[in-house]
Amino acid sequence: MPATAFAHEAAAAKPAAAPQAPARLELRNLRKSLGATAAVNGIDLKVAPGESVVLLGPSGCGKTTTLRMVAGFLQPDGGEVHLDGVLSSSATFALPPEKRRLGMVFQTYAIWPHKTVADNVAYGLEVAGRRRAEIRAEVAAVLDLVQLGALANRFPAELSGGQQQRVALARALATKPSLLLLDEPLSNLDASLREEMRFELRALQKNLGITTLYVTHDQDEALVLADRIVVMNKGRIEQIGTPEEVYRTPATRFVGSFIGIANLLEGEIATVDRAGERVLVALDIGGRVWSRAPRSWLDGAVTGGRATVLLRPQDIELEAAEHPGAEQPIAAAFLSESFLGEHYELKLAAGEALLRVQSRRRGTFADGRAQLWARPGSAWVVA
Amino acid sequence: MSEISFPGTAVTDRRAAHGASADARLLRRISALQPVRLLVIGLSIAILLALIAYPLALLTGYSLIDAQGHLTFETFEKAFARRGMWQATVNSGWLVFFVTAGACALGIPLAWLVARTDAPGKSLVTLAAGISFVIPTFISVISWIFLAAPNSGYLNRLATGYLGFSSAPLNIMSFTGLVFIEIVGVYPLVFFAVNAALNNIDASHEQAARILGANRWRTTLTITLPMVRPAILSAVILVMLDALSSFGAPAAIGTMANFSVITTKIYDLLKFPPQFNYAAAVAMPILIFTAISLLIQKYAVRAENFRTLTGKATPEQIVKLGHWRWLAGGFCIVVALITAVLPVGALLLLSVLSSFGAPISLANLVGKHYALIFDENFAARASILHSMLLALAAATVCATLGLVLGWVVERFRFFGRELIGFLVMIAYGFPSIAYAVGILMGYVNLFYGTLTLILIAYAGKLLPIAFVLVRNGIQQLSTDLEEAARISGAGWLRSIKDVTFPLVRGSVGIAWVLVFSLSLRELSMSAILAQSDTQVMPTVVLQFIEDGAVELAAALAVIIVGVSLSMLAFIRLVTARKTATIS
Repeated sequence: MPATAFAHEAAAAKPAAAPQAPARLELRNLRKSLGATAAVNGIDLKVAPGESVVLLGPSGCGKTTTLRMVAGFLQPDGGEVHLDGVLSSSATFALPPEKRRLGMVFQTYAIWPHKTVADNVAYGLEVAGRRRAEIRAEVAAVLDLVQLGALANRFPAELSGGQQQRVALARALATKPSLLLLDEPLSNLDASLREEMRFELRALQKNLGITTLYVTHDQDEALVLADRIVVMNKGRIEQIGTPEEVYRTPATRFVGSFIGIANLLEGEIATVDRAGERVLVALDIGGRVWSRAPRSWLDGAVTGGRATVLLRPQDIELEAAEHPGAEQPIAAAFLSESFLGEHYELKLAAGEALLRVQSRRRGTFADGRAQLWARPGSAWVVA
Repeated sequence: MSEISFPGTAVTDRRAAHGASADARLLRRISALQPVRLLVIGLSIAILLALIAYPLALLTGYSLIDAQGHLTFETFEKAFARRGMWQATVNSGWLVFFVTAGACALGIPLAWLVARTDAPGKSLVTLAAGISFVIPTFISVISWIFLAAPNSGYLNRLATGYLGFSSAPLNIMSFTGLVFIEIVGVYPLVFFAVNAALNNIDASHEQAARILGANRWRTTLTITLPMVRPAILSAVILVMLDALSSFGAPAAIGTMANFSVITTKIYDLLKFPPQFNYAAAVAMPILIFTAISLLIQKYAVRAENFRTLTGKATPEQIVKLGHWRWLAGGFCIVVALITAVLPVGALLLLSVLSSFGAPISLANLVGKHYALIFDENFAARASILHSMLLALAAATVCATLGLVLGWVVERFRFFGRELIGFLVMIAYGFPSIAYAVGILMGYVNLFYGTLTLILIAYAGKLLPIAFVLVRNGIQQLSTDLEEAARISGAGWLRSIKDVTFPLVRGSVGIAWVLVFSLSLRELSMSAILAQSDTQVMPTVVLQFIEDGAVELAAALAVIIVGVSLSMLAFIRLVTARKTATIS
């Protein structure tokens, strides 16, 4: 990423650096119905200056609706949107989008086809009434930033999808918005470009220290781009956490199965180890597994109670290691095996349940059966 | 990279500006209401109500309410008890029936020949259909008087003089003649609709039937035809409405052949002294028929529109006709000759012939008819000026209103949004002649004998065309494009100016030209609304025909057709170049 003249006034505000400063964005009990369904059903969220927050969820979970309420294109039915501590939307009040000092990258890019790349990028500065020379310099700087300096005088129709995407980004950045909104910006790119742009966007966000709210249904994108991921489902927030938190310690079954592949196994609590923050679960399909658990759940856990254990495919091992005492393997029957390059993807049947296992090495099966062990410390109780 | 940073001072400034100050908060509240938006919505609805709802309400009211303000059907009874009225209604019914049947019989096979066979002369048919579509029937009447007037028509003279007919075989001054002229005028509707539908059927639908063992004819009957049925139905409804509300040719021929249809009866009722309530009552059957047809169209045709009509005809779909192809080609050429070449040639020839009936020779070709038309002591010259003025004004009004209304309907979510589209489409389906009666009743006191009165009628009746075109243009614009402008800091008026308008300029331009061309040739409303000081070209043409001055009628008609065609060619050229540079 070229470090160009696209420099700004003060040093980047680090998250939580200035405790007296209001959150860049705050949503309070935000609600919106579209037709008969509650698209957004009571959302609370704070985004600190410089932070990158990703709204992640399946289509129809309300993430785009939330973003559009932040932008001011939709008015909430209830709750409030605050930008920099100032009320911007409520059920009775809506600041027009143009007064919110935001930047936005649209899913369709929404680059104006009748304007050149440079004119597209310059537009926000022109509207703000900046001087012409100033505009030219800023446009050149931001185009360099997204590596489009050479294409300034082209028309959008002459650009590739990836280049159009960069124009949209440059246009959103040019006005130095207080908050950058991105609505599935990579979903129209092909797979390899999408992956490349993920890392580039993240580097740009970190280098500029720009506060972003990013909407996607792609978990890989969310994991790369987010300081914090907000997992949404049916208009509600299921969990807010760092990428590691939502992946390793999902709060709900939904989060567990939406991010990454999940084997969710039911069982009965055999032992509660409060000091070690773990329980031994006797699985219904056979086997016993030590599983970490959220503290709040542990408080109410009793021997004989039910628990759901999350085991990621790569955390299931086919070889019996030196396992201390109480754990017992799951007996499973081989169903199918696919070679996916980096690993083998195995499907196994344990009782009624289908288990997915990823293994570096090819498993060995005696009579098509195998003993499965959980990698120590990997199992997690989903509340 | 450490010197790069993001929002700093600007944000702090904003925070200070938006601080606790009560004034700032009030200003924010007001700007959040967006008064300009409210004004635009209110104004556009008011104009629509004045242009469309008000005259229509008057029309219905006059026919149903007596002088004392009571609801009554007496007006109907009296109106239809008038001499000849019942006969006129029956005539209208037959006219609709024959014209619809004829247009389908001509249009559907032609469409199939052009879209799906290797018949020679296919492109001629498309061109001919385009030409006969552009020429209004009150103008083609002139051509056919020249060609097929009893005895004096040149084709009749050819037949009796050289082909051995004992008496003149053709008579355009008859009900049959009227049916013929109307068919030629409206069959392009069927032709173009069916042709487009045939072209748009994805080849895979038919190929799937062939793979399953159906032969070509079976496939055509069981797959292709059902798939174009919605297009045929739509076209049939349009043709019926067109035939029912046609005025030009029935007026011209009816006067000479001494018969009436509903529309000409309405016209007669409005001659001095005008009998508004009878005219309104007589217009009601047309109105009801139109409403029913549009409902059928909305529910029956749209219900069938689940069909995915996308794709392009591929070479495998072309039927090889073998020996039949020469017969088909001959048919195509005859159609092109009769519907386009003969009428246009006759019109041009008549406009320079010294007098109707004179032998066709070089010595008899003169320019005196044109000279007379441009003579400043003659009514025709003023009518050209009036027509041009009206067309300019109507095109500008319709394009502007179409843009605003299209934008309002497409972009605002508010209660009654659909009502705008509905009102506009009512005006579209509304027979011109009935609409003109409504306009006359609504605005005669304000604008009697002025061009403004005619302008109101043109604008209201032609607005739907501009509205649909511009609305489609806006529909194709993703809302993101405007939202991107808003988020960049532009208010909505500015976002329209900078983004929406430049991107729909093409549609607006086309709408302008179409309304301009259609205004030039508008006869039914003009005939009712124009007074002696406000004659327009079409009314003068009609007057010439009725007075027997067909040469002058031809010359003025050539001007109408010439101007319309050159405007259409112009827009075609401009849009072609536009798209070339963009893509």
